[in-house]
Formats: sequence, C-alpha cells, structure tokens
Amino acid sequence: MMNSMSVPSKRSTLERKLDKLILTLFGGLFFMCLIGAIGSGVFINRKYYYLGLFEDVEQQFNPSNRFVVSILTMFTLITLYSTIIPISLYVSIEMIKFIQCAQFINKDLRMYHAETNTPALARTSNLNEELGQVEYIFSDKTGTLTRNLMEFFKCSIGGVSYGVGITEIERGQAQREGRALNEIQKSDTVVYEKGFNFDDDRIMRGAWRNERDPEIFKEFFRCLALCHTVLPEGDESPEKIVYQAASPDEAALVTAAKHFGFFFYRRTPTTVQLRESHVEKMGNIQDVSYEILNVLEFNSTRKRQSVVCRYPNGRLVLYCKGADNVIYERLAGTNQDIKRLTREHLEQFGSSGLRTLCLAYRDLTIDTYENWNEKFVQAKSSLRDREKKLDEVAEMIEKDLILIGSTAIEDKLQEGVPDCIDTLSRAGIKIWVLTGDKMETAINIAYACNLINNDMKQLIITSETDAIREAEEKGDPVEISRVIRDSVSHDLKRCLEEAQQDLHIFGQKLALVIDGKCLMYALDPSFRVDLLKLSLNCSSVVCCRVSPLQKAQVTSLVKKGARRITLSIGDGANDVSMIQAAHVGVGISGLEGMQAVMASDFAIAQFRFLKDLLLVHGRWSYIRLCKVITYFFYKNLTFTLTQFWFTFHTGFSGQRFYDDWFQSLYNVIFTALPVIILGLFDKDVSASLAKKYPQLYKEGIRNTYFKWAVVGVWAFFAFYQSLIFYYFTTTASENGHNSSGKIFGLWDVSTMAFTCVVITVNLRLLMACNSITRWHHLSISGSILAWFVFIFIYSGVMTPNDRQENVYFTIYVLMSTFYFYLTLLLVPIVALFGDFLYLGLQRWFFPYNYQIVQEIHRDEVDSISRTEFLEIGNHLTPDEARSYAIAQLPREKSKHTGFAFDSPGYESFFASQAGVYVPQKAWDVARRASVRSSKRTSQR
Amino acid sequence: MPKGGHVDDYASMGEGLATSDEKERAWGQISETEKGDDNVRGGPAEDDDRRSGAFFQILDSRFTQQELPACKPLLTPTIVISTFALIGILFIPIGLASLSASENVVEIVYRYDTECIPQQSQDDKVAFIQSSATDKTCRTTLTVPKNMKAPVHIYYELYNFYQNHRRYVKNRNDKQLRSKEYELETTNCAPEATTVDGSPIVPCGLIAWSLFNDTYSFAIQNKAIEVNKKNIAWQSDKDEKFGSDVYPKNFQQGGLIGGAKLNESIPLSEQEDLIVWMRTAALPQFRKLYGRIETDLVANEQISVTIQNNYNTYSFEGEKKLVLSTTSWIGGKNDFLGVAYLTVGSLCLFLALAFIVLYLLKPRTLGDPSYLSWNRNPDRH
Repeated sequence: MMNSMSVPSKRSTLERKLDKLILTLFGGLFFMCLIGAIGSGVFINRKYYYLGLFEDVEQQFNPSNRFVVSILTMFTLITLYSTIIPISLYVSIEMIKFIQCAQFINKDLRMYHAETNTPALARTSNLNEELGQVEYIFSDKTGTLTRNLMEFFKCSIGGVSYGVGITEIERGQAQREGRALNEIQKSDTVVYEKGFNFDDDRIMRGAWRNERDPEIFKEFFRCLALCHTVLPEGDESPEKIVYQAASPDEAALVTAAKHFGFFFYRRTPTTVQLRESHVEKMGNIQDVSYEILNVLEFNSTRKRQSVVCRYPNGRLVLYCKGADNVIYERLAGTNQDIKRLTREHLEQFGSSGLRTLCLAYRDLTIDTYENWNEKFVQAKSSLRDREKKLDEVAEMIEKDLILIGSTAIEDKLQEGVPDCIDTLSRAGIKIWVLTGDKMETAINIAYACNLINNDMKQLIITSETDAIREAEEKGDPVEISRVIRDSVSHDLKRCLEEAQQDLHIFGQKLALVIDGKCLMYALDPSFRVDLLKLSLNCSSVVCCRVSPLQKAQVTSLVKKGARRITLSIGDGANDVSMIQAAHVGVGISGLEGMQAVMASDFAIAQFRFLKDLLLVHGRWSYIRLCKVITYFFYKNLTFTLTQFWFTFHTGFSGQRFYDDWFQSLYNVIFTALPVIILGLFDKDVSASLAKKYPQLYKEGIRNTYFKWAVVGVWAFFAFYQSLIFYYFTTTASENGHNSSGKIFGLWDVSTMAFTCVVITVNLRLLMACNSITRWHHLSISGSILAWFVFIFIYSGVMTPNDRQENVYFTIYVLMSTFYFYLTLLLVPIVALFGDFLYLGLQRWFFPYNYQIVQEIHRDEVDSISRTEFLEIGNHLTPDEARSYAIAQLPREKSKHTGFAFDSPGYESFFASQAGVYVPQKAWDVARRASVRSSKRTSQR
Repeated sequence: MPKGGHVDDYASMGEGLATSDEKERAWGQISETEKGDDNVRGGPAEDDDRRSGAFFQILDSRFTQQELPACKPLLTPTIVISTFALIGILFIPIGLASLSASENVVEIVYRYDTECIPQQSQDDKVAFIQSSATDKTCRTTLTVPKNMKAPVHIYYELYNFYQNHRRYVKNRNDKQLRSKEYELETTNCAPEATTVDGSPIVPCGLIAWSLFNDTYSFAIQNKAIEVNKKNIAWQSDKDEKFGSDVYPKNFQQGGLIGGAKLNESIPLSEQEDLIVWMRTAALPQFRKLYGRIETDLVANEQISVTIQNNYNTYSFEGEKKLVLSTTSWIGGKNDFLGVAYLTVGSLCLFLALAFIVLYLLKPRTLGDPSYLSWNRNPDRH
C-alpha cells in the first residue's frame, strides 16, 4: 500500500478535445452576437417611425443611446443564438456511454469467460471512447500474460530433441506463414498433471531404454531428480505427493523426473531417495538412496546450481544445471556434436518461448572431491564474505562438465495471449511489459508472447554489469549510485544512437529491455527525455524487476511525455498504481484478489479479451462518439445559422425566426433520438472484421474522426445548408400563393424553414450511418413525424393562455399551397446535395480503410462473426512478406536460447530454510503481492 | 464505488463477492422465463460450447451482442451516379412545370412612391406626406401587356419596411384582437396601448397603428372597375384570430397618426386590410394583397389608376409599388422555384454524366485491398 497513489479522476481525451470545440463554439457565438450587436447599434433610428421610437422608448431600442442598444441587443442575441451550444450533447453522450457499458461491454459474450463465469465489467462509463485510441499498453506479467504455471514441455537429451507439444507461439508463427502444423494426436495414455505437459513415445514409460545411448538418459533423469532443493510433502506415492519448491520451475523438473520413472519421494538431511523404474530392466522398480554431499546453491550471479552426490555403489557425481552460457563455459572439450546439437535445440526452444536449462554432470574421483570439500567446508564456515568465498570454491569443481542435454519449460501463458498481442501490435498498439521478474524471465515471456522475436534487435540496459557489481561489492551507496548513473547515461546514449541508425537505415524493429534499478536512474529528469525518445522508437519494451511505483512512473512518463493514450492492465495489488496512472486501467478479474479490479476502469477475465475490448468496443465507441459529437455540432450550427442570417434582415433587432417552442424542442424532441441511436448502433465494420483488420484501429490512434479538419467539413456544410434553408424558403415565399394570391407572413415562412431543417437534419444523420437498423428508421421517421404531430396540434389550437398566436394555423395554410410541397422536396435535396457529393467523392477517391473493408465484405452477412476464428487467411500480406524478406537479410541477430530459472523469492526461501534471515528485496515484495495465494483470502 | 483507501477496497471486495452471487441467481431466474426465446438465435450459436449456462441464455440477444439486423448502404460510384441521374430526371420536369406556370402569370409592377410626389415637393417628401393639407391623389396609366384573366390580384409592395423588427412583431395583443372580453388587454402594445386618458386602444399596438393607407382605384376608358376587397385574408385569421365582436375603439386618436383609420362600426374580423397587414411579413420587402379585379383585362388596354398616396415611406427611404398580377396554380409570378428545380436537376444530370465519364476513364474497383493504407505504403504505419 505504500506504493498506492491518490486516485485520479479520469476524463477521456476525446471529451477534453470536445471542451475545446465547445470553447470554439462559444467564440463563434460571441462573434455572431458582436456582429449583431454592432449592426443593431447602427440600424436603430427614429426614422423608422412605425417602430414607435419616441421619447420614452425602452433602452434596448432607444436611438439616442446606441451603445446601450448594442449591449442590450448583445444579450438578446446570446439567448437567441444559444442553441449553437449543444447542451443536450453532454446528456446524450452520457446516455450513450452508459448503455454502451451496461448493455454492450458488460454483456458481450466474446468477453465472457465461461470457466470462471466472469463477464467483462465496465466500472466507469467515462472512458469507452478512450479504448478506441489506446496507443500504449502497459501489462503486468504474472497472472496477466502468464498463468504462473510452469510445465515441463520439451527436452533435448544427448543431442536429440524430445517432446511433441507445440507452443502457442509456434502455432501462431505457423499460422502467419501459412504452414500447416501436423499436430500429433496425443496418445490416450498421456499423463498430464500440473507441471508436466510432455509426451513422446520414444522416452515415456521406459521406452528410452531402446534409444541409442540409454546411459545418457539415466544421467539426465537422475540430474533432474537429484539436483534440486525441493521438499516432498504428503503421501509418498506418485499420485499424492506434493513438491514444495521455491520456484515452480524446480517443481516442474522434479515432477518430470517422476514421470520418467525417477520418483523423488523422500529427502533426509543427507540423502535423496528415488524410486527408479525400468532402470536395470523393463518393469523393474527399486528404491535407491543417494547421498547428497554438497549443495551449491543457485543465485543470480552463478546462474547455476549443483549437487555432489554419492551413488550407493560409491560413484561420486556432480550434477549441475544452469544457464546455457554458464554451463557451456565449463564444459569439457569433448563431444562437440552434442554441444552443437543441444545449442541448436536451445535456440529452438528459446524462440518458441520456452524457458531452458542446461544439464551437465561430472564424475569425480575421491581425491579430487576430498581436496575440494576441505576448501568448501572452510569457505562455508568463514565469517566474512562467505557467499563470495562459496562462489569461488564452487567455481573450482564446476568445471570439465559433460553436457547431458537441456530442459524446456513452458511458462504457461494465458489462453490466446500471443495471438492477442500480435493482433494488438498490428493495430499499431505498442505493448510494454512491466514485471517484477528477472530479466531472463521477462525476456523469455516477451518471446513467448511474440513481443520480441529474433528479427528484432534487443537493446538491453541492465544493472547486472561487472562494473556495477564491483561497485556494489564495495558497498558504498554513493559510489554505487554514481556508477549506475554513469552506466545508465552511457547505455541510454548508446542505445539511442543504435536505435536511430537501425530504425532509419535498416528499418529494423527494436526491443528495449531495461531493469528496475537502471530505470530508477533513467526516470531521473535529466535522462527522462532520452529514455522516452528511445522507448518510443522501440516496438516493444520490457521492464523487469520494477517496483509497483516504478510501473506507475513509467506509465506517467509515456502518458505525459509522449501525450499518447495509455492503458494499463494488471491483476494484482502491485498493479494498482499503474492502473490508476494510465488513461485507462484494466483489471483482470477472476482468481486474483479484487484490488486491481477495484482500481480499474474496466475489468476483464482474460488478457485476450483486450482484443475485443479495444478493437471492437473501443473502436466502435470512439467512432460512434465522434459521429455523435460532430453531428450535434452540425445540427446546432445549421439551426443557429439560419437564425443568424435572418438577423441581418430584421434590422439586427434579435427577432426570432422560429417560434420559441420550435427552438426549445428542436434539440429535445425533433432531433434527439436518432443521434442516440446512431451512438448506440452504428457499426462501420462488424466485430469480426474489426479483429481481422486490426490496422483499422490506427484511425483511432491518429484520431482521424475528430480532427479539426473533420469538424471543419461539417461546419462548412452546416454553413451551406443554413444558407439554403434561409434563402430558399424566404425567396420562394415571396409573392402570392395558390390561385387565391394570398401572401405568407413571417411565421408561415419560418414554419416552412423549420420543417425543412428538421427533415434535412434527420436525413443527414441517415447519410452518416454505416449500418441502418430498424431503430434508425423508427427514430428518424419518428422524429420527423413528431414534428408534424407537434405542429398540427400546436398550430391547430387556440389557447386561453397568454401567448401570441403567431403560428396559429400556419401549417394548414402552408399545406394548402403548392409552395409547401415544392419547397419540401427541393430544399432538403439541395441542402444534402453538397454532403452527398462530398461523401461520394470522398469514398470514390480518398476512401478510408474501413470503407475499403466494407466493400471487400459487402456481400457478407453479419452472422459470419460466429465463426470468426476460422476464416483467417493463409497467404502473406505484403506487409508480412516484406518483413519476412527483411528477416532473410544477413545482419546481427540476437539468438535467444531462453534460459530462465528463478524465482525472486528463491534465495530468501533457502535462506529461511537454513534459518538465516535474508532481507527481502523490493521485487520480492512486488512479486509476492501478485502471486496467487489463498492465504490472503483466508486471512480475511 | 469509492476508490479511496485500502480499507474501503477490502470492504467493497466483500460486497463484490456477495453481489456476484446474487447476480448469478438472478440470471438463473430470468433464464427460465426466457427459455421460450431460445430458438430465436438459431443454429450457429449452439455449436459454441463455451457459451452455455444462464449467462449465455439471457445475454445472447442481438441487441447486447450488437448484431441487430441492419442494411449497410455503401455510397458506391454506381449509387452516386444513379442518385444524381434520378434527381435530374425528377427535378427537370418539376422545374419546367413550375417555370411555365410562373411564366403564364402576367404581372404589372408600378413603382409610384417618387412619381406621386409633385415636382415642387420632391426636395421634402416627408413634409409633403405628413401634411394634411396637400392633395395626395396621384393618377397614372398602366398598359396591360398580355391578356389577364380574372381574377387579377392587386398588391402593394413595400421595400425597406421592417415588419419583422422585434419591437414591431410583438407589438400587438392577440387576445385583444380575438375577443371583446379581453378589450383591456394591451400588454406588449406600448406605446400605442392606451389613449392619454387610459382607455384601451382597439386594436392596440404599433402594427395596427401603422396600417397601410394608400388606396387604389382603377378605370378603363373612364369606366370604373370594381375592386373586390373581400377574401383577401387567410380564412383562419378571419375566423379565429380576429373577433367578430371586437370593434375598433380609440384607434388613431392620438397626436401621431401612423396610418389608416378604421371604421368603428365594422368588427375586426371583417377588416380584411387590417388582418392582411397584421400577418407580418418575413422580410423587409414584402407584398400584401389589396384586392381583386373581377374582370378580365385585355392586352394593350390602358388602365388609369388613381392612387391616394397617403402612406409615409419617405422618412425611411422606403419604396412603394403597385402590382397587378394574375395567378396560376403555383401562385403569383415567382420564377425562383422553377429555376432552382431546373438548375439543380440539370446540375445533377451533368454530374451524373461527368461521373460516368470519370468512371470509364478511371474505374474504381470496389473493395480492392490495394487501396488499404497499410498496403499502399508499408513503410509508414
């Protein structure tokens, strides 16, 4: 909770821009009033004797004080033109947004997670349209991207790769390249349990004995079963045993060993007991006890872990597992083949998003061991620099290793994550992963999620450099901070240069990886600009080992510095500040606690629903709201401008063109409902197409539909239409009508003009619609009908109330003339002529992307969306073909081998096992909070 | 829900759990009532196993899933061209019809405001018109250009007269005009509301006060032509707005005379000149119906017109015209509608043709993926 920030109230960017538009309208209002006021001051004159401007005339028309006349007329005109300010717009927007949230987002089946019975939840209705403009997504890792579930997935033993599973990322790649994956149907006998998702007939159920070199398999399995720090709990049977491990990786490895026939069931202070099957011969089961002589623990500098154990037959072996680069440095110079093959497999696993570990062993002679053990005991009992000494001693025995192979563990992603990330990045959204995990893990997950791939150049800024480590060992805080600061500054400059070069010369995509410690310094005001510049150039950014507060800082950096719209998504308490800092906060609801959801604006059950939330709901909301706003702007401007033109012909007196009731009900009844229907139902492309063409989303990021140019076009046509309304109706109304030759008065003409305005404005809405449902028909014809019903009644009755019967019978008088029908046909068509021509030419010559997509799929019925995932094309788009071609170019590539083996709580876990208190680190706290624990719930 | 401190969070977490349970129950209940509607959705949804349970049933409506049946009109070149062609084809005949109707109308317009001032008074027209001593009779002869079939409508036309000025428009009291019982109602009528001694003026207000008072009489070969002044106002005005029991009172009794006087023995509903005048015009130049000549006028006939030039338009540089006009079905002479229809119609036809040519020269394939921006320039996303 120390990381929590004060809760900001969020308003959408679109609404803030709307405020500017309203301000502009106020400016326009003032300008119009000013013109009218000056005109009235000039006009007023006693010569118009019929106005009765004698001595005691009221101040507003008193020609002897023209200044006062102007001022007072100004106020009159402000009330007269006040319709230019769309007050009902805010009410309509609120209604639309509320229904969008309550009915559409909350009840969308595409975002409903059946397994947990969780629908999406919009916790605020303020930010719907903001979802359509998100450019940066900040995502937590654990629980959001991954399930925090490690599964043994593949392995490479003696240079042969085993495991038939296919990772999500491989599937995605294949799909993009149009390859068919021959997914092997898993055999019925396949065992699946938490932590083990592996199948290969060549090694399961003892079949490994028939492989070329069974001995190496034994080493491999024993290494898995012996070299760890797992504690078994519960019943000592393979089905019921529970492994307590500091990291889920370890548990997964031991579980794997169990399924391979090397069941680790008991640990005593000095021994590890295995129940081995199929070792000597098939079907043979025996319990073997191995004496563990030394444990060389894992830490982040060593990146490996070893045990020395003694077989019952006295054989002394050191088993070692660790990062590939660490192990490879310590291998004996023999058997280059296995090394090469294993390296290839490591790369394969790594790029498939798997976490790899290398396994190796070394046979020790008793002499060597005894010699070494003395030093080890000495080091262990030393009081100063014990850890360092232990490391040095370990270094002496962990050499001349023989490579056995490697394991590949899948950090199980949430369902559909790589696909979702891929779609989102094609939509022009940049995804940043902010995690408390270690760098390797974070990079690994980034690979697994398709955020980073081998075509990208990685720019890494880390505090795990020798210089910094050296400084840290000296322990002088000032010195440490200076060294890190220098290094960060240097790294930033270097990366920025590289980024400029690579991005602009080679067009290569970049990925930035930065750790929390460096970030702390990089967020310093003096480096902030560089960091921002660098990160904006990168297509993906991974921040590892960051504290919750840093997550929020990074979010605000982009939000404020780049002025782009940001979204944060997370599931735990540690994400709360980040969720609050971003424009839009999304919480993952479901298994984890409610903290993130409570702080969020939207809650969804799965990361993959983000695709629907942004590309479908966000995009629609944005487009709808833009239309609603611009349409409101247009209809009020048109209406007010006709009034304005009339002012010029009334001696600037501020006479109303329309009856009071017409003016009041214009926004409330005659044009209110259709625009709400538009805001609810307008769909340019269907949900499935919006996801099939994620690029359409970019129009929202660029704010294509609410630019000043768009508003300008609407304003121009409002201007044009108002001229048509005013001049056509008045000009045509002169002279006599019908064969009776009778003449219209002011109110006849204004009723005519108002009828034209109502009809045209409603029809214009129909032209703005992309899809027309029967609600559109109902509301538009209803609005027009409402006007006629109103005017029939209103002008048909005399009331005893104190009103001037201005419009009495006007509509009936009008309807008795041909003028009415001829004007009614002419004026709306002429008024809409300009809009129609513009829309036609725009689609013809400068089509928007969505319009092309509409055309491509013009014959399809909407219900196709039901099978949306089946119709993804198999051919490469030109974009992909190009990136594929680029990938073929020779260049510096970062080969990723996917080592990741950690848990931030790892060291302290073993320390506490050993009874030593190790202070927790910041990221421990960070991580702990996000680990799904039932403990917290039970405490409550 | 408050987003405040963490204490609140914990508290509301409990609420959240509770409400979600309740919701589930609620869904279950509603789903039973909704079961009858199951077959509305049809097949494709059923094969989706994930979407099962109460939630699915209640929520899988076309409304919430935003899958309402809709037609999606595309403004394709074909539609643009055919719309323009259609408007053209529709408008040109209408335009021709109304234009010919307007052309058939014979109209004589005679501006008399300057000519009806004697030479010696030209320098001070206002003094001439305001003096009660001067003879304001004015004679002229008009030639009938074409045969004019009866009825020939007589209009007066005023220019630069702001009947639509705010002070003017509201300067009347409809209640008073309507019924005798509201005789005392003179709200809005200042400064022509009451006489000096406080009794109400009927009809009150500036509009009535400034009633037009020029008169016209016509003769052909010294034989007077009768001017029918009946039925020149809209029936609704006569029936409802001007009462048959309301008689003029104290009208034009003040120091300043604005215009015509009214016969106090005739009810307002019969004072059609007043009724016509009080239907205030929309623009500062307007025509008003004066009366009708019920005999046919033959081409080249000379009509001698006697004008009583009483009305003061000289103070404000106004103009006065006398108009004799026949009507057709469309009304008086007004080319505007016909011309507008013709112009728009031919413009649309022209555009339709132009677009056809353009379409042939530079065809626009519908739904060509190469138009998509990310296909046009892959470098810039």
